[in-house]
Amino acid sequence: MHHVKYVKQSPEAIAARKQREKAKIADFLALTDDILTRKKQSDWSKDAFDLTTRLLQVNPEFYTVWNYRRNILVNGLFPKSSPQEINELLANDLSLTMVALKAHPKVYWVWNHRRWCLENIPEGPEVDDPLGWRKAYWDKEMIVVERMLDVDPRNFMAWNYRRYVLASMPVPRSELAELAYTLKKIESELSNFSAWHQRSKVLTALWSDGRLDPVESREAEFDILHNAMFTDPNDQSVWLYHRWLIGSGDDKERLEGEIAVIQELLDEKRQSGDQESDNKWCMESIVYYKTMLIAKHSSSVDVVGLRTSCEDFLKQLMKLDPARRNRYQDKLTQLVSGHGVL
Amino acid sequence: MIDFVMSCWDDEAGGFGAHPGHDAHLLSTTSAVQILVTQDALDRLDIPRVVKFILSLQQPSGVFAGDSFGEIDTRFICCALNTLSLLGHLSDLDIDKTVGYILQCKNFDGGFGAVAGAESHAAQVWTCVAALAIMDRLDVVDHETLAWWLAERQLPNGGLNGRPEKLEDVCYSFWVLSSLSILKKVSWIDADKLTKFILSAQDTESGGIADRPGDMADVFHTQFGVAALSTLGYPGLVDLDPVYCMPASIIASRGLNKDWEALPRRT
Repeated sequence: MHHVKYVKQSPEAIAARKQREKAKIADFLALTDDILTRKKQSDWSKDAFDLTTRLLQVNPEFYTVWNYRRNILVNGLFPKSSPQEINELLANDLSLTMVALKAHPKVYWVWNHRRWCLENIPEGPEVDDPLGWRKAYWDKEMIVVERMLDVDPRNFMAWNYRRYVLASMPVPRSELAELAYTLKKIESELSNFSAWHQRSKVLTALWSDGRLDPVESREAEFDILHNAMFTDPNDQSVWLYHRWLIGSGDDKERLEGEIAVIQELLDEKRQSGDQESDNKWCMESIVYYKTMLIAKHSSSVDVVGLRTSCEDFLKQLMKLDPARRNRYQDKLTQLVSGHGVL
Repeated sequence: MIDFVMSCWDDEAGGFGAHPGHDAHLLSTTSAVQILVTQDALDRLDIPRVVKFILSLQQPSGVFAGDSFGEIDTRFICCALNTLSLLGHLSDLDIDKTVGYILQCKNFDGGFGAVAGAESHAAQVWTCVAALAIMDRLDVVDHETLAWWLAERQLPNGGLNGRPEKLEDVCYSFWVLSSLSILKKVSWIDADKLTKFILSAQDTESGGIADRPGDMADVFHTQFGVAALSTLGYPGLVDLDPVYCMPASIIASRGLNKDWEALPRRT
């Protein structure tokens, strides 16, 4: 459905393929029929369970069969099993979903089943170590999700799952460790907005309870951003994160400082004679921050000067980034009419 | 068609599955209701039971689960609002509670994610904006910021992506464009370039539209491509209601239409 290359096939080729697939389809339909019939009859047997394994290995998107499998475990297999045996059954299902995830990393049902397995790990192995099994499994999940994010660093299901695991672990991980992880991902790929986004969430948590000093921390973040901006001024992720870091714009000095840095970048790009269209983000950001200055600090800034500068940039942006010219025109109209709306 | 839909009824749960014998799920229940409404066959439905099924899936936090197994996602909030309003039972819902969860999914860039804490994603933006539109609570959206973020989804090739630095895809033509249509900022993207992009993703031999030029066409991308083209004023199409992703006339006839904007239809 996504990323399936167009292949022109002759009617003969299509007919031949259909003939080959006929047997497979017949088998699959027979298996489906068997399973759904047993499900209707509330068959919670090991035989039924094994049939679901066969089907889900072929088609992990068959959500009803995942549902049935869980019901077999809960109603049929768990009641007859010791905690150790339940643990083994779940370990097995975790392996099953791992295989499925490698081939189908964006199928919701597979991620859902994995969560269900983790949430059902029994207490154990010993009475005096009731969280032993759970700790081991949840720790392992961090490795699983790290591998998934190595393969596709933007897989949002994996990132959501990561946040779920971090929030669910019996012994929570340090948020500073997560902060370091986001930096690792950003350094490997500046354009990974998912990592920048995660960083913004972790920092918000660390600042809110004072585990990190917001003032020092912000300063460090701006340093990272300046490096990133100068490395790749085209990268949208960097500019979005910058906007998050600036926040409400109450810090006038910070706003003016950042505008100066971005202007410096813009001047450098122009001097080096690079493509003008590369400068869109510099200009867009300067307009946004100057408009912020007008809106928040009108009594202590040169409003007329700032407004003129913004108008000038917006006119340039209309030529530089014609796809969004109507937005720039709307902004221009707002500015000229005296409304400093952001 | 109506008979097929009814054969997907899961009488144990009081909802529709994807196929006969499949378990009820909010996604397939929404599709079933939309089809029955389109075919003017709601009389075949046990409406109170379906409403009960949907409402039973709301969690204490305000989000909806997809089924009794508990997966949560703002997609399911959209499904719930879409279906409840089509069935005339919007008043059964705790609006404030539902809005409360959507707010937890709002990010600094104006966008929304799948769950609280998740990254903004154009499809989740549409689910939240459409849901808020149905609840008449678009006041909680930062219109300027979100419309800007949506406009930035347009790539040099004219196509739209779903998140920063990702590839274009025809289905984002719908998610992004419909959101802009609800926010009345369709002009903030280049309609001409987007139209050309969608049309270039067609299979000119067998018909249909793919996710991008050079790929295989499928029903999913055909639907979203055509829907987007309608909003873009493509000639010969009926008007699309961007809140429901259904023909505007059907939604208007039920008194459910909201104040959105589309480009004038060309002849």
